[in-house]
Amino acid sequence: MTVRSLAIALSSVVLGAVFGAAALIGKSAAQDSRDLVESRESVYNNIYVYRQGPYYSMTFGYNRTIYTESIYNSLDDRDLPVDYTRDMTASLMYAKNINSILEIGFGGGRTSWYLHRFLPQVPVISAELDPAVVELSKKYFGIKDEPNFKVVNKDGRIFLNESKDRYDIILIDAYRGPFVPFHLLTKEFYQIVKAHLADGGVVAQNVEPSTMLFDSAVKTIHAVFPQVDFYVAGGNVVTIAYDGPPRATSDLEQTARERDSAYNLRYSLDEMLAQRRQIPIDGGTVIAANAKVLTDDFAPVEALKAIEAHNRKWQ
Amino acid sequence: MAVTTANRLLTVSILFNAFVVGGVLMGFEMLGSRYLFPYFGGGIDTWAALISTVLCALAIGYFAGGVIVGRYPSPRIIAGAILVAAVYLALVPATGDALMSRILNSIGDGPSAILLAAAALLLVPLSLLGTFSPVAVRLLTRSAEESGGVAGLVYGISTIGNVAGTLLTTFTLIPTIGSRSITYLYAAALAVCAGILFLPIGKQSS
Repeated sequence: MTVRSLAIALSSVVLGAVFGAAALIGKSAAQDSRDLVESRESVYNNIYVYRQGPYYSMTFGYNRTIYTESIYNSLDDRDLPVDYTRDMTASLMYAKNINSILEIGFGGGRTSWYLHRFLPQVPVISAELDPAVVELSKKYFGIKDEPNFKVVNKDGRIFLNESKDRYDIILIDAYRGPFVPFHLLTKEFYQIVKAHLADGGVVAQNVEPSTMLFDSAVKTIHAVFPQVDFYVAGGNVVTIAYDGPPRATSDLEQTARERDSAYNLRYSLDEMLAQRRQIPIDGGTVIAANAKVLTDDFAPVEALKAIEAHNRKWQ
Repeated sequence: MAVTTANRLLTVSILFNAFVVGGVLMGFEMLGSRYLFPYFGGGIDTWAALISTVLCALAIGYFAGGVIVGRYPSPRIIAGAILVAAVYLALVPATGDALMSRILNSIGDGPSAILLAAAALLLVPLSLLGTFSPVAVRLLTRSAEESGGVAGLVYGISTIGNVAGTLLTTFTLIPTIGSRSITYLYAAALAVCAGILFLPIGKQSS
């Protein structure tokens, strides 16, 4: 019994040390002026919905004030208050055709709803793991059941594994608080994604750039897609990945202008194009030379997430 | 406990085994998540399948170990069980993906599919490893007065091994060498354990 108690005591000490260190590393919460509207403990998350003026926000419990999943302006359902969600729509100027759009990681559903409102004739389908997230998005984030707009309750990778459909645009934004599920960030995953792209299709992904996980994520995407463009906005980076030769800016500009006017987009693709960055991924100048491609076998996402990357130089 | 040198050697080798087997047991449970998530998602349902499968395997191992050691009280019993578990683990990296995708394609991704996948991965090797503790307790016990102390010692050391295996796998091995290599490492560690128990030191105690 003493040995067992010793083991329990030891493990408590070790676990206490681990979690204590993690708590110290995490930034302290700022003052919160928002009203908590609803909190929900689902199978997958602890979900908190806050309101501040007309804005509703959804967070997943981990360090509430920092990791916001989604923000909705209840006075204007075509508004995208979060910068990077606008950049996710940059994919519209890359895709050869726009006949179908898939989003993995729905959250409050802002990006896919924006696309649905401006491209109502294009089917937009989203895969969201947590049914409670979808329920809350319908309750507070202006999401409605409409033709050409569908949300499926499934893990994104399982959805793709089981689907035979191809899409012109695949948007990937699956986070749980600060964490990315490792199986949605590996080479094998992107190969599955690529297999579900229509001819001339593109993949847009939201990646948080402050840690070494970014470097590995970029290299992993690049291992499957020869072309990766970057759009930097509000502390996040959106990558646009596609197959084939690199697209000339003049060519993108023409498509951007055509689609800006065809869909009457609020966030102009033409203006967004000015932020396009093509950085050398293999040179070690922006993306760390020692960053490794993540695979189903080797994907230490939690460990990489813990290593801060300083002074990232955007070209 | 007044013990002879031979008995002391047996005691040390069994307790060393208790630690390593305990470590591999929980380490492989953590690693199981890496094999299952790509196919069945990373939700609490997958963890429930993993944990319940591990506990079922332990229950089976405890029952079976207790029955078997009553008939054959020899270290070779657990050495054999550990060796078979090592072979099973060594086969997992090459066959795991094909098996998981087969389950996914034939049964889907519901609770029964996840449970079946977890069972295919963990049930056999962990049941075999589960036989260790009751056998070890029997081999180290010489009198009724000692039994409580021996059981406490074996389970305590095995549990410290569980803790070490969980933390080492999660914080050191997964970030450094990859799941398949870790599986081979476990298989090798188990093979070494079995080898130690097959040594003639055990014979003099019976």
